[in-house]
Amino acid sequence: MILNRRSLMTTALTLGAMKAFPGLSFAQARPLVFATFTGSWEEAHKAVLVPAFRKANADAAMVLDPMLSVDQIAKVNAAKANPPIDVMLHDPGPALVAIGQDLVEPYPVEKSAYYKDLIAEAQEPMGPAPFFQVVGLTYNPEAVKTPPTSWADLWKPEFKGRVGITNLNSTLGTGWLVEIAKMRGGSEANVDPAFKALEELKPNLAAVAANPGALATLFQQGQIDISPGNFNAIQILKARGVPVEFVAPKEGAIAFKTTIHIVKNSPNRELAFKLIEAALTPEVQTTLMNPPYLIVPTNSKVTMGGEIARVLAKDTAELKKKFVFQDWKKINEQRSAWIERFNREIKI
Amino acid sequence: MGAAPASRDVTSYGMGLAAPLALFFLLFFVAPLLQLFWLSLHNDTAGLHWGLGQYLHFLADPFSLSVLGSTLLLGAEVTAVCLVLGFPIAWLYQRVGPRLQTIIILIVLLPLLTSVVVRTFAWIVILGRQGIINATLQSLGIIDTPLKLLYTQFGVVIALAQVQMPLMTLPLITALGRIDPNLDDASCSLGAGSWRTFFRVVLPLSLPGVIAGCTLTYAAAITAFITQSLVGGGQMLFMPMYLYQQASTLQNWPFASAISIIFLLAVLAVVSVFTTLGRLSRGYGGA
Repeated sequence: MILNRRSLMTTALTLGAMKAFPGLSFAQARPLVFATFTGSWEEAHKAVLVPAFRKANADAAMVLDPMLSVDQIAKVNAAKANPPIDVMLHDPGPALVAIGQDLVEPYPVEKSAYYKDLIAEAQEPMGPAPFFQVVGLTYNPEAVKTPPTSWADLWKPEFKGRVGITNLNSTLGTGWLVEIAKMRGGSEANVDPAFKALEELKPNLAAVAANPGALATLFQQGQIDISPGNFNAIQILKARGVPVEFVAPKEGAIAFKTTIHIVKNSPNRELAFKLIEAALTPEVQTTLMNPPYLIVPTNSKVTMGGEIARVLAKDTAELKKKFVFQDWKKINEQRSAWIERFNREIKI
Repeated sequence: MGAAPASRDVTSYGMGLAAPLALFFLLFFVAPLLQLFWLSLHNDTAGLHWGLGQYLHFLADPFSLSVLGSTLLLGAEVTAVCLVLGFPIAWLYQRVGPRLQTIIILIVLLPLLTSVVVRTFAWIVILGRQGIINATLQSLGIIDTPLKLLYTQFGVVIALAQVQMPLMTLPLITALGRIDPNLDDASCSLGAGSWRTFFRVVLPLSLPGVIAGCTLTYAAAITAFITQSLVGGGQMLFMPMYLYQQASTLQNWPFASAISIIFLLAVLAVVSVFTTLGRLSRGYGGA
């Protein structure tokens, strides 16, 4: 190799650039990146899942990167060949989008020690469901003396100007709309009855929140007294002393599978698998089921207890009987049309 | 050293110093904008078919146009409130002693030191059914049932006006400070009353500040995603939320790009109206 001024200069510049921008050297290993949800999920995963994973994997380097499902998809989509995330967490709607856009790898089921212990609904070959989210009725027990029992209670005249809902940007809002459609004879393919029902609900509506977080605030402010709501979100409010209770309506509480996926082309495939395995273990799921997290477990070997056993289900058999799972493939087909219709029709 | 420095015109500047910034803008502003425009020219979400379909979809839909219209109107309302409330503060600032000036500037700047999210949540507390306003009015016996303030256009305008107020007041303070106080006295000694002095002397001379303040407030108000969605709620749709829905929830990037381009052009049109007014005002002020 001939050393001349130019090649020396190039080498020096390259080395300098690599020093200045360490991300440029592609071969360099980066820590495992786990994109979880913000808020209570981040807290729960930081406190329970991450330590369990580190303990089982010799303190392997990993970081939590909390963001919404849709943002995870956008980030991975923007850099498919060298994704900035290794493990994604998704609600059912976004999960199907991520799978449809070829952003995730099938879960290596045959290698997994815990996959077969999951209840059937949680066994998803493209990414198992380590957790459930449950949507039912939430209400302020100080203002609502007789606990509601059915979605139909939201239409009662006594709740005039006191009901809150979210718009269809969220899984909560969309899932609830489908349940209302079913209650009035519709289905995932036909939500016309739900829109008619929403029209009748207008006198009762105090607020349409832009997202589930804003809905929780409304309980704190006394702006609303009853709404469809997420079990976990309510537990956080309760822990802060806000008078709020959760009931599963007699039509069945809506259950969303929260699935966890290995991102395609991840440079940390093996560690990603191990993190997901940790999320499926009975130990992690039991800890997450107990206060203060109260996350519904999916491993059938976990014995239900505490608040979850009291309000939701005593075991997986009862859980399956009381929970309603929705067809998100059908829902995704028309979701944009529903959002557009909601934008147009729901003005209070 | 080639050319003699003396031969260089002292009023001409080398463009070299501006090059780094120009490059920065090209890379991180112009290039993404062009990419956005390129994306908006596709008819399908996968970005395979070229066409103007997204723009036609927006412009032929009365609903989309009404969202654009209500967003531009919201900006106008907020700007008007800020101007009406901000002008007296700025005027007062120029007429009080240094101690009070410090207090006024502190009050004006204080909102900028708090996060928009915190300020917006404060407005939820104030405007709510059991908020400060409703609780006071009820305890005074003025109203029986709580007024609906949150989730109304009124609520959004008031909250946005408070959040964006510094953007209006600061240019006004600067503009009013440049007016020679002797002009007031001159106007009065020539027989004009204080209102006449205000409308014929102070207001025209402060117009550059008014225009600058209006432009800043307007641009900030119509793009204020957080305040619009938290105080307006999920059923009041403005352009930023419309964009967010299409881009994030529905992953319909071409339509979202088209919405942003249309929004950008609409805002540019409004801002150019402001600047034209500013040019006209210079002629008026000199008359």
